[in-house]
Order: sequence, then structure tokens, then C-alpha cells
Amino acid sequence: MADLGAVLQATGLLVGYFRAPVCGEVSVTVHPGEVLGVVGVNGAGKSTVVRTLAGRQPALAGDVLVQGLPALPDAVMFRRQVSAIFDDDLFFPALTVREHLLLVARGHSLDAPDQRVTAELEFFGLRDRADVVPEALSSGQRRRLLLAAGLIRPSSLLILDEPEQRLDPVMRDALAQRIGDHAEAGAAVVLVTHDPRLLVQTASTCLVIDDVVEQLDPDQGAAIIAGS
Amino acid sequence: MPAPEALRLRPTAGEDRDGTLATARAVVAFTRKSSRRYNRARTSVGGLFIDIYSSTLALACVLAIAGSFVFALRDEIARRDPAQGGLVDQQWQMIPADVLWILLTYLAFTGLLTLARRLGPAAVSSSEGSWWLPLPVDRRPMVLPGLIRLIAGVGLASAVMYLPFSLLTALDRTPTGHLLAAGTFGMVAVIVVGGATLLQLRAGSGRRDLLWPALVLLPLAVLPSLGPDVWPLLVALAFAVGVLAYSLPRVGIVAGSELMRGGGVSGHAGASVFLLDVNELSRALAAHPRHTASTRGAKLYVRHTVGPRAAIVRADIVAFLRLQQGVAVPLVWLGACLALVLADAALPAVVQLLVIVVAGCVTGTSMGVVARRTALVPELDLLLPVSTSVVMLSRILMPAVAMSAWMAVLTGALSVVGVGGPGLILLGAVAGLGMGAGSVRAATRPATDWTAPAAETPFGPVPRTQIAALYRGIDVTFLAMVPVLLALYTGNVYPWLIGVQAAVSAGVVLVQMAAKPTSQSGG
Repeated sequence: MADLGAVLQATGLLVGYFRAPVCGEVSVTVHPGEVLGVVGVNGAGKSTVVRTLAGRQPALAGDVLVQGLPALPDAVMFRRQVSAIFDDDLFFPALTVREHLLLVARGHSLDAPDQRVTAELEFFGLRDRADVVPEALSSGQRRRLLLAAGLIRPSSLLILDEPEQRLDPVMRDALAQRIGDHAEAGAAVVLVTHDPRLLVQTASTCLVIDDVVEQLDPDQGAAIIAGS
Repeated sequence: MPAPEALRLRPTAGEDRDGTLATARAVVAFTRKSSRRYNRARTSVGGLFIDIYSSTLALACVLAIAGSFVFALRDEIARRDPAQGGLVDQQWQMIPADVLWILLTYLAFTGLLTLARRLGPAAVSSSEGSWWLPLPVDRRPMVLPGLIRLIAGVGLASAVMYLPFSLLTALDRTPTGHLLAAGTFGMVAVIVVGGATLLQLRAGSGRRDLLWPALVLLPLAVLPSLGPDVWPLLVALAFAVGVLAYSLPRVGIVAGSELMRGGGVSGHAGASVFLLDVNELSRALAAHPRHTASTRGAKLYVRHTVGPRAAIVRADIVAFLRLQQGVAVPLVWLGACLALVLADAALPAVVQLLVIVVAGCVTGTSMGVVARRTALVPELDLLLPVSTSVVMLSRILMPAVAMSAWMAVLTGALSVVGVGGPGLILLGAVAGLGMGAGSVRAATRPATDWTAPAAETPFGPVPRTQIAALYRGIDVTFLAMVPVLLALYTGNVYPWLIGVQAAVSAGVVLVQMAAKPTSQSGG
């Protein structure tokens, strides 16, 4: 039964490869303003779960609904609603950092795209590197560019796969604030993380991926990440 | 969310109510403009001139060489007495030449369909996939320009490539007739790529979905051979317009994952061609093994083995069974060889032998899948306590057996029609063993040393090591075929020839066993 108020609803979801599930069945609902943390040990299937939620790979079984509609990444409506940031280190070789962000801003028909891009460059500390191509950036800066691209655009569901990777502690705190602001503005967020601090700072609930998938408090999730 | 006025680029009335098409066009134009600006700033006029000059010169050389070869061969065929048989006596030349040419044309179209489907044909590059496809816009402007360029390029290239075929197979045709036939062939090639686009619209379309289009291609393959009239071209043109009118407007609904898959394969294949790396090209175009293939040989694999040698042989056998693509390629080349020999096309015996050599080399190349894969991870060969020569012999085993069987069938069929007698089958089977070693040698070509000084050729500078690498494998495959080719040419299998063949094949196997493991760039 679809939860009409939910942004994301997964029911009896089985994820995996070649018909073999990598973890237990996932059933979860995320409402506007909620941040769902996803944690688990390496190889537990966290990324596979969020990739399936983002429609990037087919589910073995079960349903995923975004705003009450099936998760179809080729549908314009889905692409308008869902912003998914994975560790895809792929860029146009001849486009500068600013032009990459401008492309996303224009593709989403944002008002005053230049100002929005400048603001994101400022937030992610890329203003001095705005006019270089991504190849000239450090890996941490390229990560910031990807995050900026995912956050400059409007979305009702934000999916982040280990966004803290390659970020310094200051930027992690800034990102936590940004995720919180995004949720407060009415979006739902799914956050895969190995960082207990980021989890506690942002998540309203926590999904622990294992052979049996459980939903716990963020503090309990943070304890699992910390290994205690 | 409508697009801002500044971004609108003349959408057709009623076509773009939500502005997503205009926004997509603006995004694509923005990306292209920015990329052009960046690239122009880093390209000198002198460098551009040299590129254009060397490319034009290379093209002119290729055309001149190909042209002179084709006209010389055409004169040879024209002078030839049809009663003078090729490899087989005239009584066995029972396939009408026209039927043979239609069959070869059909095979060319089927191959093009398979290749086009492997490459997309609608595709986006990895960066386009990451930055364009997630945008909430109509994807047509992102895919269509590249697809149209591809279709036009394939049509033009196909027409040009058909010209020599037409010149050699229709001696009585006028120059206008040749041009019309080539145009018809090019137009059918356009239909083929358009048809592949239609297949792409169906998510998850696979090999079985190629069956119906392959049947539709049968009547289309007849069109280029229908003489100097203009109507075959018009029929093909009408068909092409119909296919493109249906498929192109729908290209925006091709699944994003499919567009990225096509882009990945196209990019990989393009880079391999640029770097003249045949093995990498084979890896790029190799279809993923079917799910059902992953269990082949499971019972054999779990059986108890004694010693590391038996273990590695068993692993190679099972890997071959699981990774080797179907028997379609070997069978097609086998059929082509036999059809060419049994046709009343008055082809010189040397040309027929040349086709057999090409078929042997291509089929041999297709047998090197396991060696090509394992060459990427040389550490695999060090897992077991056996010498590298034993590992290499184990790697040669299955390709050698497969090529031996292929050659035995080919020579068996030829001996049935009176070439060489039963001894030819033995000769072919032994030759196949050496050809299998050649396929492994080709599959383990070392990565090119691009730091070595380049050799100047009519086609531009080519790295010296690459010239040698291009022939690696083909050299010994050809060498292993020489005795059997000699027997085919003379029509007799002399006892000493069998001894020579055995020595050559054994020598080739030993050479490959002694070859040092090489590292490849991988991909």
C-alpha cells in the first residue's frame, strides 16, 4: 500500500547481481524532511541498495516508489525529483569547473544560474579553481565538484553514496549542515556513510545493511560504524 | 519547470510544451561551444594543417593501392577462361556466382547489424552519460546528432567499400551501374543501422532479437545485385526513409543505461583502433558471456585432479567452454570458404586460397578469448607451481583442438569434392594445431612501446614495435597453413608434405611455448 506522504518507499526490496541477493530484504519509507542513514560493513551491500533505490540497477524483487511513482531513471519526472551523487569521477575534459555547474543549472532551468554557480563554488571552496578543467583538480576537489553539482539543483530526494570520502573535516561539517538544510527545505535524503559524526549530525533514522536489514537510531548506527 | 526564454531554441509548435527539448538543445549547444573554445585554444593552425595533410595523403595512398589491386584483379578475372577451374574441378562448381555474391552481401549486412547493435548505435560518452543523462530534459538533442553522423558515415563508407566488390563481381556493368549498385548498398547499410536503432528502443534486446531483422535483410541483400537500374536504389531509399522516420524521433526514449553501454563500447573500440591494438578491439567488441555459459564444464572442474599441470589444463578447458563465443563466426567463415570454392565465379585459385587464409586467421583470432583475458592478469599464471611453458601449452590446448576440428571440416569438405583425397583431412587437422598456437600468440601480443621512434610509412608515422605487434600471431598462423595451402593449390597430398606440416605445426607450438609472458595495457 503506497504511503501517499512518502518521498521514497521501498517494499520487499531485494538487491544483488545475477539473481543472487547481496543482503536482506529492504523495506523502508522516507518522508519529506527525513534523512535516512545507511550503514554497514564493507561489502554488506549499501551501495547496491542505494544504486537500486536510485534506479541505476534493477531490483531482484520488490518495489521502489518515488513520490508514489515507480523509480524509472529514464522518466523526466524521476530525473527532476531525484538527485543522486555517486563516486562517478567522470567529467567533460574540455569543460571548466564553472561550466560543469552551469550545465547542471541550465539543464534544470534554474533562475539566475550564474549567481547560483558562483554561490556553490564559494560554498565548496572551488572559487579559485572555477576556470580550470576537472583534470587539474585534486581528487578531493573533484569530489566537491560532484557534490556541488548534486546540490545546486532542486530535488525532493537526495541520494548520497559516502559523500564524506576525500573531504577534509571542515568540509564534512559544512556538508552535514548543507544536508540538514536540504532536508529542512522539505526534501528526503538517503545517506550512505562510514562517518559516525556525519551520521549523527544529519540522520533522523538509520538503516543497517546486513543479512537481515534493521532500522535503528542514528546513535546505534554510529556505534556499529565505530565498531563498538 | 519551463525553460527560461533565453534558453529556448525554436522548438516546433506543440512539440515542446514543457520546454525540455529546448533546454536540452541549449545544454548541448553550451557544452559543444565551451569544448570548442577550449580545444581551439590548444590547437595550432600548423598542427591542424599537418593532421589534414597526413590524413589526406594516407587516404590517397590507400585508395591508389586498393584501386590498382582491384583493377589488376579485374583484368585477371576478365582474361580468365571459365573452364579453367579454381581449386576444384568445374563439375563441382555448382553454386551460381550471382547467388554467391548475394550471400556475401547478406553476410556483410548481418555483420554490420551485429556490429551496429554492439556499438549502440545510439550512444553517449561516459562524461555525457554522467552530466547530460540525469538532467530532466528530452534526450533527443543529446543523442540524435551523433547518431545521424554515424548513419551518414556508415552509408557513405559502405557505398565506397562496395565499389571494388561491384567492379570485381559484375564485369559487364557500366560505370553508372557500379555507382548505382554502390549507392544501393550504402542505402541498405543505412537501413541496417536504422534497424539496429529500432532494436535499441527495446530494452534488453539481445541475440534473439537479431533474428527477425536478419530475415528482413535477406530480400534487401538482393537489391544491390539487381543490375544497373535505378529502381533498386529508389526502393532502398524509400525503405531507409521509412526506418529512419520511425526510429530517429524515438531515439530519446532509449534507456540511459543502454546509451551508456553503447558509448562505453564505442569509446573502447575507438581508442583501440586509434592505438592499433587488435586485442583491445576484440575485448571491446566481445559480447558478455551468457548467464547459462557460466556453468559449462562445472562437473569436469570439480573432479579430483592430480598435480598442478592437470589443474591448469582443466582450468583452461573450463575457461574456454565458458568464455568462448558461439560457433557462428567459425561456421560463417567455413561456409564462406566453401561457397567461394564451389561457385562458378571463375575466381583464380590464388584468390580462393587468400580467402581461406583470411578465414583461418579470423577464426583463429576468435579462439584466443581465454589467452586475451588472462594476458591482462599475468599473475594468474604464477599461481600454480608450473613453468610458463607448461602454462602456455595448456593455454594453446583448446584453441588448437578447436582449430584442428575447423580445419578438418574444411579440408574434409574439400576432399569430398575431389581435392587432395583423405590425406588432406589429416593435413588440415595437423595445420589446425599450429593455427591454435598462432591464435594464442596473437592474443598475447605485448603492449606497444610508444616511446620507441616511429617508422615513416605512406600512412603516416607508425611505431616500429606496433608494426611487428600487428603481425604477431598472424605470422605463425599463416606459416602453419602453408603446407595445406600448397596441397590445395597442387591438388595432391604428398607424404612428405604431411611430415612438413607436422614439423611446422610442432615448431609453431614450441615457439609459442617458449614465448615469454607479456604484459598488456588492459582495458
